[in-house]
Amino acid sequence: MSEHTVEVTVNGVAYTATVDARTTLVDFLRAELGLTGTHVGCEHGVCGVCTVLVDGKATRSCLMLAVQADGLRITTVEGLAEAEGLHPIQEAFAEEHGLQCGFCTPGFLMATHELLEANPDPGDDEIRDVLGGQLCRCTGYQSILRSVHLAASKTRAQRAADAHA
Amino acid sequence: MTVEIPKSLAELPVGEPRWVGRRVRRTEDAALLTGRVEFIDDVQLPGMLHCAILRSPFAHARITSIDVSAALALDGVAAVVTGADARAWANPPRSAPEGWGALCIAAEKASFVGEPVAAVAATSRYVAEDALELIEVDYEPLDVVEDPFAAMQPDSELVHEDQGTNVMMQRVFTWGEVDAALAGAAHTFTERFRWNRLGANPTETYGCVCEWDPMSLDIVVRGAMQSPSSFALGRAATFGLASNKVRVVGHAHGGSFGGKGNARGTDIACMLSRKAGGRPVKWIEDRSEYMTAGASQAWDRHYEATLTTDAEGVVTALVVKLVDDIGASGDGFGAISAAKPLTAFTGPYTIPVARYDLTLVATNKVPASPYRGMGPPPHFFVLEQMMDIAARGLAIDPAEMRRRNFIPADRFPYTIPSGNEYDSGSYERVLDEALDLAGYEQLRKDQAAARAEGRLVGIGVASAIEPGVFDWNAYAIVGMPQTGVPEGATVGVDITGSITVRVGFSHEGQGQPTLVSQLVAEYFAVEMDAVRVVHLDTASAPPSFGPGGSRLGVAITGAVLGACERVRDKMATVVAAIMHCDAGDVELRDGRFRVAGRPEVDMTVAQVAGTMLARSDLLPEGMDPLPEATYVWTAPGRTPADEEGRAKSYLTAAQAVHVVVVEIDAETGVVEIVRYCLVDDCGTRLNPVVVEGQTDGSVAQGIGAALYEEYVYGDEAQPLTASFMDYLMPTINEVPAIEKREVVTPSPVSPLGAKGCGEGAMHTTPAAVMCAVNDALAPLGVMAREVPAAPNRVWNLLRSAGTQR
Ligand code: FES
Ligand code: FES
Repeated sequence: MSEHTVEVTVNGVAYTATVDARTTLVDFLRAELGLTGTHVGCEHGVCGVCTVLVDGKATRSCLMLAVQADGLRITTVEGLAEAEGLHPIQEAFAEEHGLQCGFCTPGFLMATHELLEANPDPGDDEIRDVLGGQLCRCTGYQSILRSVHLAASKTRAQRAADAHA
Repeated sequence: MTVEIPKSLAELPVGEPRWVGRRVRRTEDAALLTGRVEFIDDVQLPGMLHCAILRSPFAHARITSIDVSAALALDGVAAVVTGADARAWANPPRSAPEGWGALCIAAEKASFVGEPVAAVAATSRYVAEDALELIEVDYEPLDVVEDPFAAMQPDSELVHEDQGTNVMMQRVFTWGEVDAALAGAAHTFTERFRWNRLGANPTETYGCVCEWDPMSLDIVVRGAMQSPSSFALGRAATFGLASNKVRVVGHAHGGSFGGKGNARGTDIACMLSRKAGGRPVKWIEDRSEYMTAGASQAWDRHYEATLTTDAEGVVTALVVKLVDDIGASGDGFGAISAAKPLTAFTGPYTIPVARYDLTLVATNKVPASPYRGMGPPPHFFVLEQMMDIAARGLAIDPAEMRRRNFIPADRFPYTIPSGNEYDSGSYERVLDEALDLAGYEQLRKDQAAARAEGRLVGIGVASAIEPGVFDWNAYAIVGMPQTGVPEGATVGVDITGSITVRVGFSHEGQGQPTLVSQLVAEYFAVEMDAVRVVHLDTASAPPSFGPGGSRLGVAITGAVLGACERVRDKMATVVAAIMHCDAGDVELRDGRFRVAGRPEVDMTVAQVAGTMLARSDLLPEGMDPLPEATYVWTAPGRTPADEEGRAKSYLTAAQAVHVVVVEIDAETGVVEIVRYCLVDDCGTRLNPVVVEGQTDGSVAQGIGAALYEEYVYGDEAQPLTASFMDYLMPTINEVPAIEKREVVTPSPVSPLGAKGCGEGAMHTTPAAVMCAVNDALAPLGVMAREVPAAPNRVWNLLRSAGTQR
């Protein structure tokens, strides 16, 4: 097995680690770094449960190798909010009952984050388009749609407040 | 002292409820949203090993030799187990029907693709999977039993040779004078249907971490199972241990829907642990393992139904013949899904007599498991298609057809021919609300206009029952005889007045931890976040089954309120002793103990608890000073099944009417859901937000069942659907907006009048969508008899009708 040294920044913290070439990014995040908030639903790249942000782009961490993350910036669900309290997207999911078992939720949060960074006022079609790659077996998606709309309005309010400050 | 569980919100000891029945945010969400909840794959224990399982590539093959020496020699491998170990250490598990269980690892022959043949424990899952490559197995392929009808032939190859047949069970249940009703009917309708295998597919598969101490023989299983107590009993029976030698720690888990918990994988991990000197062994089922060999597949059904009516369209008899392909063994308990239709056989209708001709067959497919609804969803698909066939035949509007046959509101409690008793309902009102919500008259006009343009638009109106709060007696016909499924809770107040509730279920997604906080906060008039809910393992929790059969919300309400009542009674005794009055005169109201006519008596719950724990000298002689009580709730009034399977089984009966509009693309056969409207009545809604979430989620699963989801087998029973690439789960793009209204008819028999609602719309949605599809196809003279109505099937129907361009 070939081993490689990777340098990655995860949630703002720089790590240097030695990994097997075959170690997936999600296994690295979960087992090596102990960031177990990112879950695994299929390992086939279909369910989106493992979605993290790689240099700001929503990425399936089950389909990427840890060595491929060398030099990149990764954000996981643990990096969304400040140490205490919820990020506005998390807040919105809590308010709109956008989760039941919560296993798929980190993936939805990260995908939503990417969406709202690009467009803080998306319509239903754009939300469906972006979240069409995330499976949720519990909610039937109705509450997730509402959550994303609420998250969008929170994001807009936040940006307006930041612009004033 | 008898405990009276409040049957309505008005009976709670508070003025105006602040939490129960309100739209309450869930207490479990913050931890879930920040990735802080420990799911089973997050568990790391010192010395932990990782398990990988070698599985049979053949559906039916004798294992002639197996060589694990190279695997054992691989660096990092700690233990290997094969069928020989299973034979030495394990019994075949319990099954339904009894006697059809299979060892956790195939010893002589493999009976389905994916059946475990050997397993490895190693320092990582990567190394364990490497080791699997080094195991040499020689197989001698046998004839494969693929089709249940061929399997019933006397010359068929046998899945269980010791049984001498592939027929697991064959019986005809007759409830009432069916032959006379058939002979005297004005109209008789008969049709065949096919429901293909599908299943739960929670986003988290099953996983466990097992320890089997080779000295004490104690087993500890941490796992993502639905019912920790059932799992503990199952492991004890399988390994021949006393039940108190097995401790199961149920973890928060990512959904279940009946399809979670892999006993074989758990038993294998236990055996590996024992071989590895008791080190913990983690097994995480991967998605392909789940889909081909887990608790993933349910309801592989071939139906023939007959429905008779009088001249006015009132149904006079229902006969359902079912051949259910259970797969290679009965230890997945898929057979209970064939028994559960007895709890609501005739749906929401007054059908007076019925017959169930039931055959369960073994084949070389993965053993069938439960799935949300546990059997009635396909049954109601059949019943509702038959209602529409009759309506069409008699030129009665489908909504009117239902109305004519509904059980009237004044006839509850109502006993159905198959024995169960429905507690309450307002079926016609639910229908009226649904038709109003959908704008039914206008929908029919729009449909006529669309049809005039040659478009295939269909409207489905369907109604079904959701039996709530399961009882084992519902499944007596497949060998589950008991009445009573206990759910317990312990409510304790500490010396500062903080309240802790100890329960035996774990978080699964339906909001029960929040419900517990709502109930206790309401009862003692404190804030919800002042109540702490602790989930305990099977060695320390009060008796518990957990979620399943639409029961936990109702059952835990009974348990928690019962425990609260007991704490109140204890505290009232203390107050009476201190204040020198009669305990019967002490009243708890809005969190304070008072005595009528004595305004000076005013003690808070915290003061009484503090007194009990810190001033035992003030307590009545011999009184237990613990401000704590446990209550174990079981559904009242259940009865054992008679020889025809009839029992008072499920406690509550919720009902719904769904109105669905679809349009079929004549070019492609794709069914699009244009509108989805539903009205449901599940009694008192303890947290309406959660009820709506359950409804939405089960509509989505019902749409998947009707249109997309299917486990497909190829030649030689090879599974062709082993990933989400092949098995089509509904995404956000397949689930339409769901328009909802509610009717509330409280249950007169359940805690707070709530009815089981967790399985929800799954009972009605597949029926309603298929009614709509068949309404769209009706002008062409063809009918979709097979579920899912995938585009290829619908396209073939269109082509057979000559409309395909
Ligand atoms: S686990 Fe990565 S997409 Fe499913
Ligand atoms: S909340 Fe359970 S899978 Fe989405």
